[in-house]
Amino acid sequence: MTEFAAFKKMKELLTNYYIEAKTTQEKPIAWITSGAPVEFLYAMDILPIYPENYAAMCAANHQSVELIEAAEAEGFSQDICAYARTDFGADITQGGPAAGLPPPHFLLCSTNICKTVIKWYEVIARKYDVPLFIVDTPFLHDGLTQELIDYTISQFKDLENFLSDFTGKPFDQERFFEVLYLSREAANYWQKMLYLGKNIPSPFNSLDSFIHLGPIVTLRGTKECVDYYKLLYDEVAERAEKKLASVPGETHRVLWDNLPVWFKMRRLEKFFEEHKTTLVVTTYANSWGGYGNFNLDQTDDIYESVARSYLNVYINIGFEDRIKYLAQLIDEFSLTGFIMHSNRSCKPYSIGMYRLQEELSKLTGKPGVVIEADQNDPRAYSDAQVETRLEAFIESMESISLN
Amino acid sequence: MFEPFHEVVTNVSKTILEHEKKTDRPVIGVMPAYFPMELIWAAGGYPVQLWGNNLPLEKSDAYLQAYCCSIARSVLELEMRGIAKMVKGYAFTSLCDTLINLREIYRRLFSKPTLELSIPITKTVEARRTYLRSVVQNVTDGLEAITGQKITPDALKETSQLFGHVRALQRNLYQIRREKPGLIKNHDFYTVIKAGFFLPAAVYAQMLEKLLGNLDTLEAPNGKRPRLVLSGMVFDPLEIYQLMDEFGADVVDDDFANGWRTVSKKDFQVGNLSEGVTAYLFHPAPCCCIYNPDNDRHAYLLNKVKESGADGVLFWYMKFCEPDAFDRPQLMKRLKDENIATAFVDLELSVANFDAVKTRISAFCEILEG
Ligand code: SF4
Ligand code: SF4
Repeated sequence: MTEFAAFKKMKELLTNYYIEAKTTQEKPIAWITSGAPVEFLYAMDILPIYPENYAAMCAANHQSVELIEAAEAEGFSQDICAYARTDFGADITQGGPAAGLPPPHFLLCSTNICKTVIKWYEVIARKYDVPLFIVDTPFLHDGLTQELIDYTISQFKDLENFLSDFTGKPFDQERFFEVLYLSREAANYWQKMLYLGKNIPSPFNSLDSFIHLGPIVTLRGTKECVDYYKLLYDEVAERAEKKLASVPGETHRVLWDNLPVWFKMRRLEKFFEEHKTTLVVTTYANSWGGYGNFNLDQTDDIYESVARSYLNVYINIGFEDRIKYLAQLIDEFSLTGFIMHSNRSCKPYSIGMYRLQEELSKLTGKPGVVIEADQNDPRAYSDAQVETRLEAFIESMESISLN
Repeated sequence: MFEPFHEVVTNVSKTILEHEKKTDRPVIGVMPAYFPMELIWAAGGYPVQLWGNNLPLEKSDAYLQAYCCSIARSVLELEMRGIAKMVKGYAFTSLCDTLINLREIYRRLFSKPTLELSIPITKTVEARRTYLRSVVQNVTDGLEAITGQKITPDALKETSQLFGHVRALQRNLYQIRREKPGLIKNHDFYTVIKAGFFLPAAVYAQMLEKLLGNLDTLEAPNGKRPRLVLSGMVFDPLEIYQLMDEFGADVVDDDFANGWRTVSKKDFQVGNLSEGVTAYLFHPAPCCCIYNPDNDRHAYLLNKVKESGADGVLFWYMKFCEPDAFDRPQLMKRLKDENIATAFVDLELSVANFDAVKTRISAFCEILEG
């Protein structure tokens, strides 16, 4: 990975976060999906815990197989998302880097990333006998509509009532707006940092952004998160200024679509370095940049803009819009090609990918490749297969540049 | 007695083409699950339910990965191979991530219109009501655009009665099966239900009436064979029922999305369309794809076992169906805690060799026989 001084700070932040999670006596704990509106929780002093982030950490630490196998031994099928299996396993064995997650008092789940999380959280709700609040954010087949926005806002209001009943306190709107502001600030730094990838050569690569995603996922809405991304942004901006390349001799600049392969980060990094290929931008890391769009200037519109941001997530939009967005990234980041990770675990991100690849290549004239892998289950991954495909893809970029 | 139903199921395309001509209605392909067929018929369409078949997958592989369920892959195969060419448009529900994306694939690959009944999953009642109103409006507009015909209140009322009648007849068949296990062979039973996917409701109703009239007079065979409740999304592949008939096991009830979960639905309420759709989607049987904590699957399945006098529950798992897969371990545990025997089989529509499934089911039946 590119060496960033901020990395140390991030480790410290995440360690403190997990320590608080494991030890807090005062704060209620909510398990929450990565795309759920966490700002409502912070407004009521509830500590959000992200099972997806924990699952990713387990895989990055090469602990996911044993956890997945523990879940499978309890009957959970290999067919279900490996994040869920990893977390079920961590819950059963109290395993992983934080020795399991603290038990939830309730669950908050949003369908903007997938419908799978409903099933996942139903299992948890039943196991712990805790309430599950769902913010349903239907798939945007035809873009954002007022009906979808209104539907989401109504559920936000209901969420406020739920939280108020749960805590026995009135919903703290003032604090809520402050938290939204902090979320927006952090997301803006994050987005600005990601957009520094437009520099040639790129001062960081997407594997770095995957590593540095932790705080924007788990601490979004806190002051620490803003400070951290400011630090990181400054550091990356300085590298950009000095024209320091993340991948020395950068020859190819590509996009990565879908989640990372958490357990192969090092190997893939080495592979791309050897092939002078920088992963410059990803749809995945960009998703958190969307929370920089909160319009907080007019009280009346705040809920609407929050609803828009939570609905309008890449994985929740129709293919027409996905293609447009991908093409725009290819253009703006001066890319030479794109990699799509057909992720066995994540159907909503992956189904249709082969069609997207065809259309996107046709539209942009850039080569693309689909690799078959999995974000968290190393048993569903073959180095040889993936690397052979990637090599062929890199060759195809080379032949284009020679022409 | 069952011959006409077998005839339909073995000649699906022919059946549809014949009735398309007779009814002079555009064929609408209905994707899994719970799209109210009433809306399609009332709009002048001819709904045909698509749950896939056992064609080898040759073309769909280009667009649907091997980790997608065989329902989605098989349905896409039908369109790609031109077998579904009589279908003029597709009606989806937002049942699962696979189907949501499948609709997008259809929109990119084919020019046929698609519409989606987006199922709101929220406990915020007012939000659900308002949102569903706009969803239903879009769906009816879409149907009317395909058929060129308006949905009138009269047509809707008549259709609701017709489809309600069909389901009531199917429920009678289920009732007979519960009361007289073994009277209807498993393979015949599901052939009868499946035939309904392809026939116009009035034609199917007549066939069912005739069948039920005959069945009423018959007695179940003597002797008790293991009695099973089956639970899963889709009751296919039908070949397995032939095997069960041979080695001796009686399905006495089921919890299939295209079986009892649909058959149990009451008459579609036409007074207020969005309320009607809500009632239709969320009641009475729970489904793994429709979050509804007020309608608990555990209690429901336990009750089903009790009421049907089954000896055990066999989970009929369509590979890669996550909604079903997530629920299963806790459900099995709960049943086990209540001393109900359970087992599960992994299935795909395109399976050609049923030896492993047969071994598994017969082993389970042996356990049940003690
Ligand atoms: S990886 Fe995909 S399927 Fe799994 S929880 Fe995330 S969005 Fe849902
Ligand atoms: S079988 Fe499962 S995954 Fe497949 S379409 Fe039906 S609900 Fe979706």
